Amino acid sequence: MDLIRFYVRKLFTVLKNEVIVLPSRVVVVVFFLFLLLLPVFTNNQYTLRIFTLTCIFAILAASWDLLSGFTGQINFGHALFFGVGAYAAAMSNLHVHLPPWASIPLGGLVAVLAGLIIGIPCLRLRGTYLALTTLAFPIILMGFVFAFPDLTGGELGISGIERIARSRVTNYYIVAGLMFGLCTIMWKITDSNTGIIFHAIREDELAVRASGVNTTRYKLLAFCLSGFFAGIAGGLYAHFMRIAGPSTLEVSMSFLVVIWAVFGGVATIYGPVGAVFILFPLLEFLRFWQEYRTLMFACVLIVILLYMPDGLFPWLRDKIETECPRCKIRNIATRTVCRVCSASLE
Amino acid sequence: MGEAFLEVMGLNKQFGGLKAVNDVNFSVAREEILGLIGPNGAGKTTLVRLITGILKADSGSILFKKREITGKKTWDIVNRGIACTFQNMRPFRRLPIIANVMVSCLSPRAMKRGEWVKRIEAKAMDALEFAGISDMALEDASTLSQGDLKRLEVARAIATEPELLILDEPFGGLSPAETELMAKSIHRLHKGGRFGRLHSEGPAMIIIVHKLQQLMKIADRIIVLNFGTIIADGTPVEIVNNSKVIEAYLGEGEI
Repeated sequence: MDLIRFYVRKLFTVLKNEVIVLPSRVVVVVFFLFLLLLPVFTNNQYTLRIFTLTCIFAILAASWDLLSGFTGQINFGHALFFGVGAYAAAMSNLHVHLPPWASIPLGGLVAVLAGLIIGIPCLRLRGTYLALTTLAFPIILMGFVFAFPDLTGGELGISGIERIARSRVTNYYIVAGLMFGLCTIMWKITDSNTGIIFHAIREDELAVRASGVNTTRYKLLAFCLSGFFAGIAGGLYAHFMRIAGPSTLEVSMSFLVVIWAVFGGVATIYGPVGAVFILFPLLEFLRFWQEYRTLMFACVLIVILLYMPDGLFPWLRDKIETECPRCKIRNIATRTVCRVCSASLE
Repeated sequence: MGEAFLEVMGLNKQFGGLKAVNDVNFSVAREEILGLIGPNGAGKTTLVRLITGILKADSGSILFKKREITGKKTWDIVNRGIACTFQNMRPFRRLPIIANVMVSCLSPRAMKRGEWVKRIEAKAMDALEFAGISDMALEDASTLSQGDLKRLEVARAIATEPELLILDEPFGGLSPAETELMAKSIHRLHKGGRFGRLHSEGPAMIIIVHKLQQLMKIADRIIVLNFGTIIADGTPVEIVNNSKVIEAYLGEGEI
């Protein structure tokens, strides 16, 4: 009993001293509670399906940010990892009868291989050249998919894959939990020493090399990590939709990921995740006005890019929080002195 | 002069029709501070870029501690003990100053040499302390002045604990007072010793400047480069009185 009391008190202290002090942390907690309690408030299969897909695409968008936002290796063919993950999970499930808990990580690992395969030739390229080269890879793979229809299902894709779980609610909880876990891992990576090198490579690769760091290795690592997480998202998608088709490799899929990340704010991880949670349900909501849907979607994007060039979430964060000029700790915008070092914030 | 620590032999580099480095031969001893001077476009920076592997030489060879480093990758050369600073400073502008130095501290060489340091932040902080900009450690590098950027370059280079330090225009853009301070720091570093958790090997140095005056006090030996060729090699006093050097800087004829 004492132990429970201890942990409750500890939780309360953390909430009071670490969470409530910053609006962004409160938003994360509220978001977590929203995801946790959503099935309690709605039993609507359609809503749950939309949010499950949103969670899958959130992993995909965050994985793009890890590679392109942090390391600056602009990848316009991120659908490759997603598609490879989806096909690998689908094939291993259908042909080798691997259960989803094994086929989804396998999809991630095969996507790591794909990351290595495209990473090695792309290492010498930079900027626009890299972006255009990466754009070609999913198109090439789609050619392979159509060329071997017996293995890949051709245009129809591979169907009849096992579900992640039997009920929609369990499916939702597994995917949402994985989304939270994987995004936390990605955020932790970017916050680590490796993350510092990723940031530095984006800023000036030559200077990183002159600091004694093998940038090739780190760029490959970024490709592999990003591929792994995107591959997991692909595997989840295949098992959730019960089909892995050429649509997972489409150019539009690659560009959607870029749009999500730019909308939410690159090099943040939380930005692309938040953007998917706004844009994906919004696009579904707008389907009632089918003919205006794309137009309205484009308008929202243009407004965001015009007025918030760093993305929606960094802009919002700067509005509600200020950085202490002395200790660089973030404070709620209404404070006049820093909560840590008591420096004036005005 | 002691045994050769760095040996450059018959080094050549051509950009199209321009011979930037033309059959350059020289060596640096372990305990030496070598000045490298020359007018604009003499090939000083190209020579440094060849030594550090940023550019590939057309021919010739470079030996460091008797081992061939010609054609090796820049990061590999840095990990063998050669560090350099850039003439046009290349900070990671959107990263805090301490993170700029932490990148160097994360190189295999620095990690191996500082195994006993639990947090690399501490080592990075000591490098900044040595360079005199530790009070700004948390600011973004984009907020630094020209002089402080030079210091940051030095901090980044010494964080790998090099045995040969190449400073490209360390006094460029600095005020006379700042130049004086930088020269003192260079001397202190060359003497070697421990600066907090950072250890200075007392590195041999190659200092590139284009004003001879700045080198007179600190350099043991000076090499003068003009049109990619070495035109003089000697002590500062010898160099000042060398007719070829005077001609390269002031031109021919009566003054």
